[in-house]
Amino acid sequence: MPTRVLAIGLLVLLVLPLVALASSSSPGELAAGLEHPLFWPALRLSAKTTVVSLLVVVVMGTPLAWWIAASTGRSARAVELLVDLPIVIPPAVLGVALLQAYGRSGLLGLSIPFTTTAVIVAQVVVSSPFYVQSAATAFRKVDPDLMTVARTLGASPAQAFFRVAVPVAMPGLLGGAALSWARSMGEFGATLLFAGNLPGTTQTMPLAIYTALESDVRAALAISLVLAAIAVVVLLGLRIGPRLWLRSRGGPP
Amino acid sequence: MARGPRDELAYAWALRGALASLVGSASGCQRQEAPAVPLTVFAASSLTDVLGALEPEFEAANPDVDVALSFAGSQVLRLQIEASAPADVFLSADPTHVQALVDAGRVEAGQVFARNELVVIVPPDNPAGIESLADLPRAQRLVVGTAQVPVGRYTATLLRRANERYGADFEAKVRASVVSEESNVRLVRAKVELGEADAAIVYRSDARASDRVRVVSVPPELNVVASYEVGVVSAAAHSEQGRRFVGFLRSAAAATALRKHGFVVDP
Repeated sequence: MPTRVLAIGLLVLLVLPLVALASSSSPGELAAGLEHPLFWPALRLSAKTTVVSLLVVVVMGTPLAWWIAASTGRSARAVELLVDLPIVIPPAVLGVALLQAYGRSGLLGLSIPFTTTAVIVAQVVVSSPFYVQSAATAFRKVDPDLMTVARTLGASPAQAFFRVAVPVAMPGLLGGAALSWARSMGEFGATLLFAGNLPGTTQTMPLAIYTALESDVRAALAISLVLAAIAVVVLLGLRIGPRLWLRSRGGPP
Repeated sequence: MARGPRDELAYAWALRGALASLVGSASGCQRQEAPAVPLTVFAASSLTDVLGALEPEFEAANPDVDVALSFAGSQVLRLQIEASAPADVFLSADPTHVQALVDAGRVEAGQVFARNELVVIVPPDNPAGIESLADLPRAQRLVVGTAQVPVGRYTATLLRRANERYGADFEAKVRASVVSEESNVRLVRAKVELGEADAAIVYRSDARASDRVRVVSVPPELNVVASYEVGVVSAAAHSEQGRRFVGFLRSAAAATALRKHGFVVDP
């Protein structure tokens, strides 16, 4: 009985803020929030940057995940640990570290801060661990014999990878990509410090919420509601997408 | 030899006495007075440094009060007070927030206790060579406050006034080099401290509190003066102590500290 109370207590703690958020805005207020001058530029920028950062994460993260899954050596374990670091380091710390590395007075002397590129760099850094980790786990489940069979049947290594390994690992790849995209969408701390806050250039949805909160609570609530709705859609896709994929391939439901 | 019940009792009393004297000596002189009343002060983030210096001074003069400071943007603090946050005193960088709370019956009355003016700050090596407000268009990367917060609004007023002196396109030229509009003045300053921006516009008190920026003053006839107001929250749990704190803020001792931190205090 007490354990059930604890479990339900946590559930309420998690769900109640979302219920409160959903019931905080009347449709009229929501409509007014959507017409706030900060809203559309932020939504457009968030959509653009998260799509680009997701592409970067998948294109660069897939080979890394494949290598981590295939290697058994100590170096691969060390790399795995390095990839996971951005998950445990607070985003604000990452923002300062990004400035020290890619800022004007940073290690490389680049001028990335205050550009849309900076937003994407911050998103890639915070979100790629989620994809690489999930993809590596999925690739580990690919039976090496299947790959060998494909090769003996005349497939090139690339063909074997794309026609055998990727389909088998697809649920894990999709799940990792969705998580990573959601993390980019919500990225706040590192972006605020590294990229700055300029509407249309670096002000993504979370930064717009933060800025709107300074003057117009209703707008902040409306933008929050849209961001929460996007997150719910991503989560549903995360649960249903892989299952649909398996079903379409005739595998187990 | 076994101890009887009476011995046990005497032993317990002796132990209690020893413990009490130990606790008494540990808490020192505070024990003679009533326990300190907690006074929750909500203050604009630009007051962070000066209140850190004023808090021990007030507590030394009022040993029955223990001040707890909570800093955020004035707008956010106003929101929290509207949501019945347990604040006793509200210090705002923008009188409109105090006025709104007074109108809503949530704050007793607002009193000005300090003023602040805008300055241009540049990194110590001043890469864009900015020596006056007129040089501001030379900056390739300028950081200002967003129009949603007081410092951003004051900056807009300053640039509009500068148009009349430096040419009608001055504001447009300056705006073209704005690379970020930050939502609080400390974030604006940080961009110059980190060397990422060529210049920024902040309050004089924020510039004074940093040794990693150089101050370029703005002509006084163009400058915008921000008034800081303080008021006791109507629903305060400790309004008497709150009024004492307001009185202290408007005292000569507080004025000295405020001036030292770059604020202007009317004589």
